[in-house]
Amino acid sequence: MRAKKVSLYSLTGFSKNNLQLLRLLIQQELTLRYKRSVIGIGWTLLNPMLTSFVLWIVFSFLFVGKLEAGQQFAPYLMAGVLLNAFFNQGLLQAANSIAANGGVLTKVSVPPRIFAFAASLAAFINFLIGLIPLAVVVYLSGQTFTIAFPLIFVIGLFMTFFTAGIGLALSVIFIRFEDAKNIVNVLLLILIYLTPIFYPIGILDDRMQQIVGFNPLTSFLDAFRWAFSDNATATWQDFLYLALVSITTFAIGNLFFKRRWSKTIAML
Amino acid sequence: MNIIEAKNISFAYRVLNKHHTSLKTLVRDFLHGRISIEDYVAIKDLSFEINKGETVAIIGKNGAGKSTLLKILARVIKPTTGSISITGQVAPMIELGAGFNAELTGRENILFYSSLLDRDINRVKPRINEIIDWAGVADHLDYQLRTYSTGMVARLAFSIATDEIPDILLIDEVLSVSDGEFAIKSRQRLIEIINSGCTVIMVSHDLKTVAELAQKVIWIEKGEIKMVGLPTEVIAAYQASGS
Repeated sequence: MRAKKVSLYSLTGFSKNNLQLLRLLIQQELTLRYKRSVIGIGWTLLNPMLTSFVLWIVFSFLFVGKLEAGQQFAPYLMAGVLLNAFFNQGLLQAANSIAANGGVLTKVSVPPRIFAFAASLAAFINFLIGLIPLAVVVYLSGQTFTIAFPLIFVIGLFMTFFTAGIGLALSVIFIRFEDAKNIVNVLLLILIYLTPIFYPIGILDDRMQQIVGFNPLTSFLDAFRWAFSDNATATWQDFLYLALVSITTFAIGNLFFKRRWSKTIAML
Repeated sequence: MNIIEAKNISFAYRVLNKHHTSLKTLVRDFLHGRISIEDYVAIKDLSFEINKGETVAIIGKNGAGKSTLLKILARVIKPTTGSISITGQVAPMIELGAGFNAELTGRENILFYSSLLDRDINRVKPRINEIIDWAGVADHLDYQLRTYSTGMVARLAFSIATDEIPDILLIDEVLSVSDGEFAIKSRQRLIEIINSGCTVIMVSHDLKTVAELAQKVIWIEKGEIKMVGLPTEVIAAYQASGS
């Protein structure tokens, strides 16, 4: 019997050259978006700050006293904005990446999933860049950083898997049905309100708290806020839950994509 | 030695009787019971062999299944039934410049396009000067591709695609779209590649080029092979059929 060599390449179906392509795609995703603007990649820093600032002006009157003792509204809000941007950007860019590169995918034999992975990873890197202004806000609010800080990378990695999985599944649906995008946009809007991004979860009644608690994004957000500056509570069970959710989502998304791909490519 | 061996390959997919581009119309027609499933057969039961170093042309009318076959040869899709074995690296030269990004510079596009063709970019980097010299875009290397003329883009794409001679080169109507000087230059390059022992498969409506370059012609009609043989014989029969 011939032994089959198992490597990173054989497991993912990617060649060494494909990983170079992945790197080039991430670079493109990060630099091209703001290529024509004067401050370029500085927008990645400014964007979450501006969004948070607007929301802060609107909601600080309502919610400042409603957080638990020791928590600060400004970093609480900005963490929510950052993670939500990561989720939205990673998911939608990954979902659109396949259709956007349809011209290439129908002509060159390249694993299509690379394009989706690049989009989700680029969103992860944007998120990491956004941590810099968040750190400033945490500092200005008089909070300290926690020793759980490195766990943010774990949370980010889970989120990357989570968004790549959903994005891959959506990508084939988007190609098949042109109105699916609108439906997904509405669902994402509902999801934003079902996630404690700008409101403290404590303002909800018990039943709503339960519903919001079911939302995996809430767990992502709790873990992130806890790891960054103690603006929420999270335990190891939360991390186990996140690992399970993100890896299952990733696996299902990949499987769905694989099954539908040969039919989808005929439509590109 | 056969570098490509296709045994009874078909490509078919199930489609709904009407193409629904939106969920809304799909749900509406489903509720009215107006939905049925049909099989769309792009190619059926093709068997052929291609030897190493051979230059083969595929001819046939539009919609005969040439593009589907080319996609299978490029390993973009797998046949739904039958088996095909393709040995070695395939470089598709289908639609010059597909995969280029207008916002990237010429240099970045060279690396990106090479990477799409599954090449190691560390081996492409030292070759950049030769690639741009052949394409005649040396002065524009660090400008964005959107500042290039159409001819420059085509030359650059051709230059990258043929920089590394693959085991199998797939060409789809590439030479017929180019302008005078480039047409001559690219044909010369193509003949060099053919003479180097590379297996070349081309799809073309240009029967003159086919007669000149190919050693074997496969004529496809309605997804099936109509005739395989020497260029002169197949082309004569193809023309006699009134196509």
